[in-house]
Amino acid sequence: MVLLLVLFSMFTLPVFAVSDREAALSCISEAERVVADAYEVALDAEGVGANVSGLMLRLNEAADLIFMAHSAFEAGNFDEAIRLADLCGEISSEVRVEAQRLRAEADSEHAARFWWSLVGSFVGVAIVVSASVLGYVYFKRLYYRRLLKMRPRVEQV
Amino acid sequence: MRFQDYRVLFQVVSLVGVLLAVSPALSTSVSFPTGGERFSELWLLGPNHMADDYPFNVRFGDLYSVFLGVGNHMGCSVYYVVCLKFRNQTQPLPNSTSSMPSSLPQLYEFRAFVSDGETWEKLVTFSIPEVLCYENSSFVNSLVINGRSAWVNSCAIWDSEYKGFYYQLFFELWLYDVSSQGFKFHNRFVGIWLNMTA
Repeated sequence: MVLLLVLFSMFTLPVFAVSDREAALSCISEAERVVADAYEVALDAEGVGANVSGLMLRLNEAADLIFMAHSAFEAGNFDEAIRLADLCGEISSEVRVEAQRLRAEADSEHAARFWWSLVGSFVGVAIVVSASVLGYVYFKRLYYRRLLKMRPRVEQV
Repeated sequence: MRFQDYRVLFQVVSLVGVLLAVSPALSTSVSFPTGGERFSELWLLGPNHMADDYPFNVRFGDLYSVFLGVGNHMGCSVYYVVCLKFRNQTQPLPNSTSSMPSSLPQLYEFRAFVSDGETWEKLVTFSIPEVLCYENSSFVNSLVINGRSAWVNSCAIWDSEYKGFYYQLFFELWLYDVSSQGFKFHNRFVGIWLNMTA
C-alpha cells in the first residue's frame, strides 16, 4: 500500500508541478495582454481629449505586479505568481472600465461643445451678415445723399 | 474713393467677420497638426543623481547604483519597456542605422506607463557576485540587478590598449505599438562601461 502511494506521488507530483507552472505562465501572459488592452482603451480615451494621467498611474501599479509575478514565477512560487497576475488583471480591468467611462464622457463633452459652437457660429454669421447688409444699405443711402447735395464747380484753368 | 471701392471693402470686411464667426465650429471639427518633433528621452544618472560618478571600476561583491530615466514627448501616453542587457567588447550593441535591438538576452526589464510631457525614473542597483580571471581573460557568471540574480555567462579578453577587462551594462528603450499589438525597439539605448580588473 505504502509502495503504491510512493509510486503514485512520484508520478503525479511532477505532473502537478508542470501544470502549476503552465497555469502560472498562462496567467502572467493573460495579465500582460489585459494590461496592454487596458492601455489601448486608455489611449483611445486620451485621443478624444480625456485626461488619463490617473489611469497611467494605475497601469504602472499593474506593470509592477507583472514584474513581481515574473519574479515569483522564476523563484518557483507559482501560486504567488498566479495571485499577482490575477491582481494585475483586476487592476487592468478597472482601468479599462474607467477608460471607457472617460471616453464616453469626453465624447459627449466633445459633441456638446461642437453643437454649442455650431449654434454660436450660426448666430455669429447671422449677426455679421445682417449687420453687413444693413450697414451697406445705410452707407449706400448716405453716400448717394451726399452725392446729390454736391454742386458742380467750375474751376478756371 | 468710388462707390465700387467701398462695396469691395464691405464685402471683404463681411467675409472676415463670417470667418471669425465660423472659427469656433471649425476648431471643434477640424484638427490642426500640432508642431514639434515627437521623441522619447532615455537617460542614466550616477548615484548622486547627476551625470557624474558613474560606476566604472567595479569589484565583485560591491553594490553600485545608477538612476534610469525615461521622458515622453510623443504627444500621447506611452507604454515603455526598458530592457537591461550586458555585453563584452565584442558582443553586439543595438544597431541605430537599421533600428535593430541587440541580439543579446535581456537580464531585467522595467515597464512604465508615461503620460505625455511626463518623466519616469527608477533606481537601478547592481552587483557582480563573482568574477573569474584566468590569464588574459575574465569571466562573469551572473549579475544581481535590484536584488534579482540573472545569468550572464560573459567573457572578456584583456584590453591591452585601455588596460582592463571591459564589459558594458546597457539599457534599450522599447515601446508598445498599438498597430502591431507588441513591443517595438524605439532605437534608443544608453549604457555604462564597467572595468572589472580590480
